[in-house]
Amino acid sequence: MSESSAPQHLSNAVRIRLPALFADRIDGVSAVEVTATTVAGALRALTDRHVALTTLVWTGGGALNPVMVLFLNDRQLSGTGITHTLHSGDRLEIIPAIEGG
Amino acid sequence: MRIVPNNSAGSPQTVFYHRCTIDLARGAIDIGDVPCRNLEEVLGGFGRSFQYLATRDVSDAFASENPMVVNTGLLTGSNVMTGLRTYFSAYSPLKVSNTGLPAAMWSAGSGKFGSKLKWAGLDELILENRSDRPVVIVIRESDSGPQVELRPADHLLGQYCHEKILTLYAEFPNAHFAAIGPAGEHYTACYYAAIALSTENLLKTGDDKCRWAGRGGMGAVLGSKNVIGIVAEATDRLAKLSPETRALNKEIATGPGSRKFREKNRGGLGGTWANYEPLEQFHMVPQNNFSPTGDGKPELMFRDALEDRFVIKAESCYRCGINCHKNIYERAADGSKGAFRAKFDYEPLNLLSTNAGVHDPDDVWPLVALIDHLGMDSISCGTTINYVLDYNARHPDSPVFNGATFGDADKIRELIEQVGTGQLPELGQGSKRLSEQLGEPDYAMQCKGLELPAYVPDTNPGYPWAIAGGHMSMATYMLVAMEGDTSLDYWVSAITERGLLMVRDDLLGICKFAGLNTKMAAQSLGDEIGLVVSPDELVTAVRRAFIRGLWLERKQGYTRDDYTMPAQVFDRPNPAIKAEPFVTREFFAALSDRVWAVFDQEIANLPPITDETPR
Repeated sequence: MSESSAPQHLSNAVRIRLPALFADRIDGVSAVEVTATTVAGALRALTDRHVALTTLVWTGGGALNPVMVLFLNDRQLSGTGITHTLHSGDRLEIIPAIEGG
Repeated sequence: MRIVPNNSAGSPQTVFYHRCTIDLARGAIDIGDVPCRNLEEVLGGFGRSFQYLATRDVSDAFASENPMVVNTGLLTGSNVMTGLRTYFSAYSPLKVSNTGLPAAMWSAGSGKFGSKLKWAGLDELILENRSDRPVVIVIRESDSGPQVELRPADHLLGQYCHEKILTLYAEFPNAHFAAIGPAGEHYTACYYAAIALSTENLLKTGDDKCRWAGRGGMGAVLGSKNVIGIVAEATDRLAKLSPETRALNKEIATGPGSRKFREKNRGGLGGTWANYEPLEQFHMVPQNNFSPTGDGKPELMFRDALEDRFVIKAESCYRCGINCHKNIYERAADGSKGAFRAKFDYEPLNLLSTNAGVHDPDDVWPLVALIDHLGMDSISCGTTINYVLDYNARHPDSPVFNGATFGDADKIRELIEQVGTGQLPELGQGSKRLSEQLGEPDYAMQCKGLELPAYVPDTNPGYPWAIAGGHMSMATYMLVAMEGDTSLDYWVSAITERGLLMVRDDLLGICKFAGLNTKMAAQSLGDEIGLVVSPDELVTAVRRAFIRGLWLERKQGYTRDDYTMPAQVFDRPNPAIKAEPFVTREFFAALSDRVWAVFDQEIANLPPITDETPR
């Protein structure tokens, strides 16, 4: 299920895709549309809308959770990628780097 | 299964599954349709098998009254990617209460066996009693339904798991296989024997590339019945791919849910092996029997550190775009791929390297491969051996077994070889019993008799409530690294609301690595099977199945005293771990009170199993 509250005509509308760990905490929402100019801004918009995701995305000090990995348009972002500029239509993913098996 | 199209979850009694029951003592075979009593039975896996086990009184896992249930999930053999799971359920020789009674357990594995079993026409196989000679069960499709027979298996005895499978493959070229190894043949001396399941890759290459139903000693139970292998022969029966399932499969193969397990060159993080790096940030990679030191040694097993030494290939079970198997091959001088060596998943790799003090990959891969050859659960075998290494390090003047301690790869290999061939029954009984006999249980890394997977218990007070292994049935093992919340409220919620729901896929027949959220899973049942289930109905059924697992534990004598942590966690907090040492006795007692306040109520309200007759 995808969720959109960002008017489609606005520039810098980006889509954040979420794994089950996130989606199952917010009633199955697996993609969220937000408007932002940076990766950090997009993630902030995500957690502003879905407060239940805050501790997954951010540390108590407000930094990106170090076990989360970001992908922008299917390319992994480096540690400094949170400042990356976004463009309209970009696809962002956040996934945990630890999973068992 | 017979499902009326667009059937709803509210009418499970109109759904029938096809069951074969074999009385191995008499050679009697009975096949028939069985109506479902509730949604858990419709979904399958342990949701169904645990209701069967609930009707039995079993005091010895190897006694004839302990049935083994081999079944599939509703999505096994379907077009849904990763719909490949087979489940083996029985009372376990390894998972025991403090009273000594065996507890109900299931273990799941992929490969193609489950699909073939379903395509041959069976949803479930129940094995009763014990054959008086070693047998292979052969299941074949026919125009009049599945045909089942027992054949002598003497020619398979002594072979490694994959060798047995290849021998059977020569006889049944259109089949897939389940088999035990030497460990399962010596089940009285190796309680953590596993069951190997064949993959296309194994049959094609001849390499030991089995998948495993590893946990809880299901291979030992199968061995106790004198069943050496199971053959499922059928034509592949995949229906035309619907647009909905095509879209779902694309999501599974390319979406965020499986990205962790996909290969780096396909936009993934490289598999479970890649847990090393993020866990090492917090010094949470188990070292020397779950005692991280912060000395940087785990970095020697980082995947990047081994890329020059080996060619690493991402391979799969069958029609799976995730390719989670990270198989290592020799790297030839020209950089090309040489001989296959082993599969490096995080669990076997860690427990047989860093957690055993072995840091040379050329020492490690033979250990990983040998455990697979012999057919043992690498988690239980590895963790039990790590306990021995720790014991011997603490008792240099009076060591046990061959005196192996951390880093002794040759002696560790000797222990593996001996336990897997039935020569070390004290080691083969698992860490709970061994540590109690040695009088030092505090640092035996087990809960309820099941050895811990490769996540330090110092950060996971949810382990005791896992009903089928710590990282397969309670999703709390990574939460401290992930969220860092050590409050009581958080942990009560993590265990009683979210963690238990990870068993969902062990009803459905799909792999956890597919990464489906609950809505997707519910939707897939409608799209692919025609069973209309809402996410809430699915969650309710999964939760009921989990609670029934706790009820079954109680039936086998579990009390609150059984639900505890290795005492070392309470008494010797590890200063190297970069997290608050919050799992104190006081915290755990308070957590137990609140978790049981939730679970006790649900156990009391569990609907009775109305049909008391074992079916």
